[in-house]
Amino acid sequence: MTTQSVGIANLPNQRYKIVSERGGTFTIMVCGESGLGKTTFINTLFQTTLKHADPHQRRHLPLKKTVDIDLTRAVLEEKNFKMRVNVIDTPGFGDNVNNTKAWQTLVDFIDDQHDSYMRQEQQPHREVKFDLRVHVVLYFIKPTGHGLKPLDIETMKKISSRANLIPVIAKSDTLTLQELQVFKSRIRQVIEAQEIHIFTPPLDFENNSNNKEAVSTDNATTNQDATAAEHARQLIEAMPFAIIGSTTKYDNGQGTQVVARKYPWGLVEVENDNHCDFRKLRSMLLRTYLLDLITSTQDLHYETYRRLRLEGTNGPDDENNMNGNGDSSMPLKAPARKLSHNPKYKEEENALKKYFTDQVKAEEQRFRQWEQNIVNERIRLNGDLEEIQTKVKKLEEQVRSLQLKKR
Amino acid sequence: MTSQASNASIKKEEEEVAGVPFPPIPKTASSMESNEIESQSGDNVEPQIKTEQENELPTTQALDLDMNNQMNSMKLNEGQILPDQPDIKIINRQINGYVGFANLPKQWHRKSIKNGFSLNLLCVGKGGIGKTTLINSLFNENFDIKDNNNIIPEKPLDLANEDEHGNETDEGLHSNVKIETITKTIEENGVRLKLTVVDAPGFGDAIDNTNAWEPIIKEINSRYDQYLDSENKINRNLNDDNRIHACLYFIEPTAHWLKQIDLEFCSMIHEKCNLIPVIAKSDILTDEEIIRFKERINKQFVERNIQTFKPPVYKLDDKETIDVANKLYESLPYAVVGSNDFVTDPTNPEKTIRGREYPWGIIEVENESQSDFILLRDLLIKQYLEELHERTNNVLYENYRSEKLINLGIKQDNSVFKEFDPNMRQEEEKKLHEAKLAKLEAEMKNVFQLKVSEKEKKLQKSETELFARHKEMKDKLTKQLKALEEKKHQLEMSIQSQAQSSPAQPKKKGFLR
Repeated sequence: MTTQSVGIANLPNQRYKIVSERGGTFTIMVCGESGLGKTTFINTLFQTTLKHADPHQRRHLPLKKTVDIDLTRAVLEEKNFKMRVNVIDTPGFGDNVNNTKAWQTLVDFIDDQHDSYMRQEQQPHREVKFDLRVHVVLYFIKPTGHGLKPLDIETMKKISSRANLIPVIAKSDTLTLQELQVFKSRIRQVIEAQEIHIFTPPLDFENNSNNKEAVSTDNATTNQDATAAEHARQLIEAMPFAIIGSTTKYDNGQGTQVVARKYPWGLVEVENDNHCDFRKLRSMLLRTYLLDLITSTQDLHYETYRRLRLEGTNGPDDENNMNGNGDSSMPLKAPARKLSHNPKYKEEENALKKYFTDQVKAEEQRFRQWEQNIVNERIRLNGDLEEIQTKVKKLEEQVRSLQLKKR
Repeated sequence: MTSQASNASIKKEEEEVAGVPFPPIPKTASSMESNEIESQSGDNVEPQIKTEQENELPTTQALDLDMNNQMNSMKLNEGQILPDQPDIKIINRQINGYVGFANLPKQWHRKSIKNGFSLNLLCVGKGGIGKTTLINSLFNENFDIKDNNNIIPEKPLDLANEDEHGNETDEGLHSNVKIETITKTIEENGVRLKLTVVDAPGFGDAIDNTNAWEPIIKEINSRYDQYLDSENKINRNLNDDNRIHACLYFIEPTAHWLKQIDLEFCSMIHEKCNLIPVIAKSDILTDEEIIRFKERINKQFVERNIQTFKPPVYKLDDKETIDVANKLYESLPYAVVGSNDFVTDPTNPEKTIRGREYPWGIIEVENESQSDFILLRDLLIKQYLEELHERTNNVLYENYRSEKLINLGIKQDNSVFKEFDPNMRQEEEKKLHEAKLAKLEAEMKNVFQLKVSEKEKKLQKSETELFARHKEMKDKLTKQLKALEEKKHQLEMSIQSQAQSSPAQPKKKGFLR
């Protein structure tokens, strides 16, 4: 019996076509002290100058106490595939003397985007949605060779509970291979001990082969899965990635132009696995696991945010709504977002309170004076009355004596 | 005596006045810096964004502002009106090297194989029209698990009822449409498809078929509702999609016109799910009859404004793909033949093929020149299954959902559809903060003024009372004084007159003298 194919095997190609046509959106946040090469890395990664080095304004301005959000939007096209790329930088992070709550701006931004998306999703008409949900946060670690600072740990903890976190060792050409190994393992230990959840590529090939017994006929797929799993393992082992950034090309001595940094003692090639982990990180971010970053943002981080927000609203009442009245078609209402924790606003509020306290004090002073005046007046008046009373007494005395006299 | 009493009462008053409490106001040491905030937001992010476009690299060429324009001029349902968007800069670049994000479709390809596919197919047509056979032929499967209790028993049963009771029972007269579903997972080259066939046996089989479509519409709606509910749940899992992705409507091969029930059903359903009409058992129609029948059907569809599923055409599509899409659309309704049997291939006796053998020849199901079966398979599975999904999810379900939510009284809030702008966000926050501050100030001022005026009144009152009491006292005392003076005067007078009349006085006077 021979029949033509039903066409099910072509279904993945349909998906391929739809995605190609539609393009994609990728939002990446870079976080770390200034001078760690965040801007250079972004430009190296996308092979185009998306962001310009900080126009020295900021560095020369008096220190601000705030962390800002700097948003770069781009539509990049590669091989006819259009990608909306949003890069979020957080200038000011970690640059202050007091970095308490420096992560708040970052965390607020991530939450804000989830919140905005949730509210758009709940509208009856929602053909166009604006989506700036952060798919990945690159945390730049200073190449000290020692360990993580409390600010690093605290920030990574906060981020990893709401977005995909990938820590990277910035400017790793300042560390020797040995130093780098020690540094990496120290960081890994801290990350593990502090229970920071960093993004790792999914190692799901086992599930896959379990699902399909018939797969043995299809050796190509199994081989592919095995290769993918091996690649994933290599990536996981290399974490946190040590990177260097450069947008300048040099001759590598064999006649090829490579992106690199040139030192008197040698050429550090960005795309050389022996020199740094740039290629691994790029594979993680774009070439292999871009989709996993996007889907885990949607399925894990966004859903977690949404659940926490909605649970916070009505608490146990939700259960009743769900099962009772059949009103489950109604989108649940989430409470409004709170104001950010801008320290300036707090100061203003306190100043206002102080102003009133002062006013109250002034008034109290006035009243005290007034009361004193009343007391004085009373004393004066009482004196006045006493005077008359004395007169009366005197008269009474006189009258009495006159009366006696009269008798 | 009386003056002491008044003293005491004034004192008591005073204690009360001093005891009026002020609202507790926390004390802070910081000072007002109102100007600093304004100067900060003024020069914040704006200049940085502006510089991006000016310094375009010469190696990158600017694309047309496609995405940007699309956003601004997108035609929306009257329900969603986008508010004014902030003026944002979007860098457009074409990348010449290999960055790698162009792998995203490939990653989807891989993931889609892992996740598997699904299709929920609704089949509607009279009993015996060959629905199950066609499905079997389409998917190379056997869905006929209820061979003997589906089509055959129902009709004789109705007839028996009529015979026995001499009158028509409700079952026979009015339509009694049931919904039956079968799910199977089919695999081809490692790609899995979870196929659910939703059948509506009994449709069009009754004598009175008024509202025969109602159970079917209800089924489609309840599947939408189920999805909507799971979308609104707190813990949600949207992987299970039970929505109907396509409806195969089986037209009887009459070669005349569509019947009223066909048109009614199609116009009820074409905005709820992707409608794919097929002419069943088309092997009893000649080629010319089929052409004419199709023309008539399409004319009727146009008259009734009934939309059949149209494969989308993309910008990236080549001419061949566009031609295929057009041909698939223009050939609707497909004249199809199904068969559960395999016959010997007339061209190759070694092979068997799906077909029907008549004395006058063999009709091959999968022969493109003999029926539109292959077109149907292309549209339904091979080329556009995912597009059926897309349209169901993005258009049909969305329309259903919008209408339902609006009818439930949920108001559209268009203000949430805004591009994020850090500047604006700060502005918004500043506004919120200022409002909060103003409210706080007003509240405190209110309390303050209230308490101050209360206290002022009290003090004034005690002041006037003091004076009043004093005046009263003084008046009383003055009166007393006057009375005494009077009395003294009288006494003096009387003593004087006494002295005049008594001898003692002159005596005394004289004595003194």
